[in-house]
Amino acid sequence: MAILTRVADTLTPEGAAERLRGLSADVRAAVLLDAAGSLRGASDDDHDDAQALGDLARKLFEEVDRATRDWDTEPPEQVEVQIPGGAVFGSRTPRWTLVAVARRGALSSLMLYDLRAVLGELEGGPSIRRSSSAAERTPGPDTEEHAAEELPMPELGGQ
Amino acid sequence: MKEKRKGPLSRAAGLAEGMAATVRRIQREREPRVLVYDPAGYARLVQPEARGHDRIMDVAEQMLTQVAGRE
Repeated sequence: MAILTRVADTLTPEGAAERLRGLSADVRAAVLLDAAGSLRGASDDDHDDAQALGDLARKLFEEVDRATRDWDTEPPEQVEVQIPGGAVFGSRTPRWTLVAVARRGALSSLMLYDLRAVLGELEGGPSIRRSSSAAERTPGPDTEEHAAEELPMPELGGQ
Repeated sequence: MKEKRKGPLSRAAGLAEGMAATVRRIQREREPRVLVYDPAGYARLVQPEARGHDRIMDVAEQMLTQVAGRE
């Protein structure tokens, strides 16, 4: 008898950039840096290209910090740079920095949300739920009880 | 309060105005710019004449060139 164990699809640093690209078709490339600024993951398989992009991503936030250091606000957590032909988005936590090069026309709010969501998952937050068609779902009992389990139920009266 | 439009021509004009406004908004969003967001999500524009603005733009352009070069 075989025992099947379902392993949770935990997001690793190496897979974070690719996860971001999977979330948004507007992402052309993405890199993940650790707190020391070292490259920890990239959507590109070519190591040299990924390293070069990682170096630029680190430089981007260095320049952002330099430009905003006199501001009487907290250090920026996210940055958006719109340039002719595309855009660059970056988001960081104390441990990670995720930077993406996006196509022209990418929606800023969605890009920034996706970056934050991937970093949140990397920090141990809830997995990003992706919608899938009914045919793609794991077959289960086709009952009302099963359907009810998948519906979000509002909690009433809870304060 | 916005005056309610009457008649098909007025409605068509209203639609055209809405579309023009949307196009203007999209164009405005794509203008070269640097925005930074604090942890609460509030955006702040790095003014084009501000210190560091050009260097940030330059790094972003290098990133775009790097990615475009291998596509």
